[in-house]
Amino acid sequence: MSNSPGNPPFSKHIIPYTFLIILLFSLLGCAEKNQDKGKKVFNINLNEGLTSLDPAFARNQNALWMVNQLFNGLVQVDDSLKTVPAIARSWEISADGRTYTFFLRPDVYFHDNPLFPQGKGRKVVAADFVYSYSRIIDPKIASSGAWIFNDKVNGKDAFKALSDSVLQITLKKPFTPFMSMLTAQYCSVIPHEVAEHYGKDFRNHPVGTGPFRFKYWKEGEILVMLKNEKYWETDGTNKLPYLDAVKATFISDKQTAFMEFIKKNLDFFNSIDGSYRDDILTKSGKMTKKYQGKFQLRTGPYLNTEYLGILVDTSMAIVQSSPLRDKKIRKAINYAIDRRKMIKYLRNSIGTPAHAGFIPKGMPGFDMEKVKGYEYNPAKAKRLLSEAGFPNGKGMPEIKLQTSTTYKDLIEFVQGELNGIGINCRVEVNQATSLREQIAKNSINFFRGSWIADYPDGENYLSVFYSKNYVPIGPNYTSFKNRKFDALFERSFLETDNEKRYALYREMDNLVMEESPVVVLFYDQLINLYQNDITGMSNNAQNLLILKRVIKK
Amino acid sequence: MFRYALKKITYGLAVLAGIVVVVFFLFNILPGDPARMTQGQRSDVQSLEAVRKEFGLDKPVPMQFVYYVNDLLPVAIHESDSTARAKYHYTELVPISPEKSLVAKWPYLRRSYQTKRDVSNILAETIPNTFILATTAMIFATIIGIFLGVISAVNKDTWIDRSANAFAILGISAPSFFAGIIIAWLFGFVLGDYTGLNMSGSLYNYDPFRGEVMNWKNLILPMITLGLRPLAIIVQLTRSAMLDVLNQDYIRTARAKGLSNRQVIYGHALKNALNPVVTAISGWFASLLAGSFFVEYIFGYNGLGKATVDALELSDFPVVMGSILFVAFIFVIINILVDIAYAFLDPRVKLT
Repeated sequence: MSNSPGNPPFSKHIIPYTFLIILLFSLLGCAEKNQDKGKKVFNINLNEGLTSLDPAFARNQNALWMVNQLFNGLVQVDDSLKTVPAIARSWEISADGRTYTFFLRPDVYFHDNPLFPQGKGRKVVAADFVYSYSRIIDPKIASSGAWIFNDKVNGKDAFKALSDSVLQITLKKPFTPFMSMLTAQYCSVIPHEVAEHYGKDFRNHPVGTGPFRFKYWKEGEILVMLKNEKYWETDGTNKLPYLDAVKATFISDKQTAFMEFIKKNLDFFNSIDGSYRDDILTKSGKMTKKYQGKFQLRTGPYLNTEYLGILVDTSMAIVQSSPLRDKKIRKAINYAIDRRKMIKYLRNSIGTPAHAGFIPKGMPGFDMEKVKGYEYNPAKAKRLLSEAGFPNGKGMPEIKLQTSTTYKDLIEFVQGELNGIGINCRVEVNQATSLREQIAKNSINFFRGSWIADYPDGENYLSVFYSKNYVPIGPNYTSFKNRKFDALFERSFLETDNEKRYALYREMDNLVMEESPVVVLFYDQLINLYQNDITGMSNNAQNLLILKRVIKK
Repeated sequence: MFRYALKKITYGLAVLAGIVVVVFFLFNILPGDPARMTQGQRSDVQSLEAVRKEFGLDKPVPMQFVYYVNDLLPVAIHESDSTARAKYHYTELVPISPEKSLVAKWPYLRRSYQTKRDVSNILAETIPNTFILATTAMIFATIIGIFLGVISAVNKDTWIDRSANAFAILGISAPSFFAGIIIAWLFGFVLGDYTGLNMSGSLYNYDPFRGEVMNWKNLILPMITLGLRPLAIIVQLTRSAMLDVLNQDYIRTARAKGLSNRQVIYGHALKNALNPVVTAISGWFASLLAGSFFVEYIFGYNGLGKATVDALELSDFPVVMGSILFVAFIFVIINILVDIAYAFLDPRVKLT
């Protein structure tokens, strides 16, 4: 068979057809580009999703970030991590350090909501804090922030409204970091009318007092918050916030999100990840030529310590059978790792090599001179190894280091360093969820971990080594137990002078370093990208998103 | 006939029951403590216990299973108080004891461990998106695929045929994960200013001051990505079927009658060539639903796939179970319908 000779019927048409199709698609695409002129919308992507807007469940970064726009607490942190007033104008602490009395501002109102009389936001009173805090420790709510109050107060009676503007909190025992703890987003104030009406669905019907009010949330797609016109905080004589709206998208693929940032569809980007890190940053941590001048790059310390944890309680079978029970070997591991090289080549200089203690750079009281950790010293590592009875690692049983996929490259670097001094180390990659569970159950004895500050006080880091925080009661994942440490730790609760307390923290940190239940790898660093027209962003070491002072030109 | 249908339906229900059992016990064997996954880095025993109690994880596994099945069954036994009524939205059938009664309800899929959102709510929001994506991808693949297949058959052994063939091989061999990234990068980023397309986004956009707007253009790139593989197969199928048909005697007859080339191809040849293509298309639809998982993830398209992948990473059992059950349900329904339809159409299928 054959077609009509010399006249293939479609090849003539195929080019116009193709054009037509492309044209059609582009027309569809150009349909609209909408942005109200003059209105300033801050665009952000939350690549890890958003679980809840209820402050009682603000347990991960994205939730903290959004909750911080919608709610306020009694106090807040400033950029230097000091506790400063928020809804509480001022406060008094009794001589015995157990009773805290807060005097509230008279001009704070909740966002408007139909559940209030006439739909107008009601004034915040002390009883609202009593309700909000009691809710945090209510087992029926099962808040992930219950630990904040659980071991500090005796049930709900600890919170008392003495009048509309005076709130009193009574602690079981004096606890100096308490004020710092109250800056946590868990301690935000919420209106009982709304929270009780929606129950579990308060998570997507949040009403607070913050600089932005909730407008719309299509989960996994878009979250919109609008300016709270009646916000109580000011910047000199200017009313806050400056932005008209905040819009969050939920693109999980980081690469796609980064390209959206380059296209200026996002105003802020912070998850600079392995795959395109080299594209943005040089090995010394500067912006590459390709992007210079196109965006602002801001860095600063981030209260996150990345470490390797080692189980040390010799009463556990898993510890007895491991060479890691010997302090000399743990110290040898500490000396064997070239942290500077690791940070430079694997992290493009994002982070500070950890040559001090467990408390990270950026934390008030951090002092690299006074807390001595471990410098790279392979000769010393080898000497310690042979002192422990394994010259050049000979005869030492294999040790297994567990990590999740995300950190595989870092951990393989560690493995290389350990093999370099003769320690036979095997890396096991686990799913993040199961790794976390095993660590929390003390069922693995050498693992990668990180600790992000829940509140900016060194106590938060040291509590990880307090014997009363043993698993499963608390987060002592290395099963570290030391009488001297415990005594110092308990003493620090009573010490109200900050400098003296920090000195105690440093003493404890030195003690932990000497016993080496952890191999601290590095202190993390913030690496935030903004579009050039953004000013007024806060770069705080807690990595808290503060948008109330942001201006978009 | 009725007995045949009944048998197929019973079989389908057995499959669903099997899935419930397998997924439930798999989740219990898998490492990862769902209660801990709802906590931050720091937690205490009281909080964990409160969470376990809330999710019913404090009970022994067989008990948990019984409760779960009871929640799923459309006819089940529940407390007759107001909290249970609000939770299950049931209609009371027979009171059994003062506290309990036999009720009829929609299967209750529980709330997500992670977000505490109603699973049926999550499904109701994401399924239509996935359905639209899969349907448009199929339509796109069918129209373009048949068109390209006909062109390449008619222009056999010319550059058109060869490039269509090369394109088909590329389409079949490129995994949608890879193709998705390339397509997003090329059309959404490099050529983004010309096409006006976004690299990511869902069907809806929301303007902070104007409200919800439909964003059909966000469908284009995921649709193409998802449709690429079926498209390639359809091109090949159409091409070979067309070549077959074009060699038939009745085509020669049609030409001899003096019909125009266009009439011969579309009126006579294509109609007959489409049979195997249509059979293939109907079989793929269900697998497209499943295939959309990666595509949704890459394009940040809020569908069932994205919701399930996110939930899996966080040991969010109710969401994973809900979506698996839904997909299984669709497969079972399609299978039953197809079986019954075959029985109707093909007398050789035995009705026993």
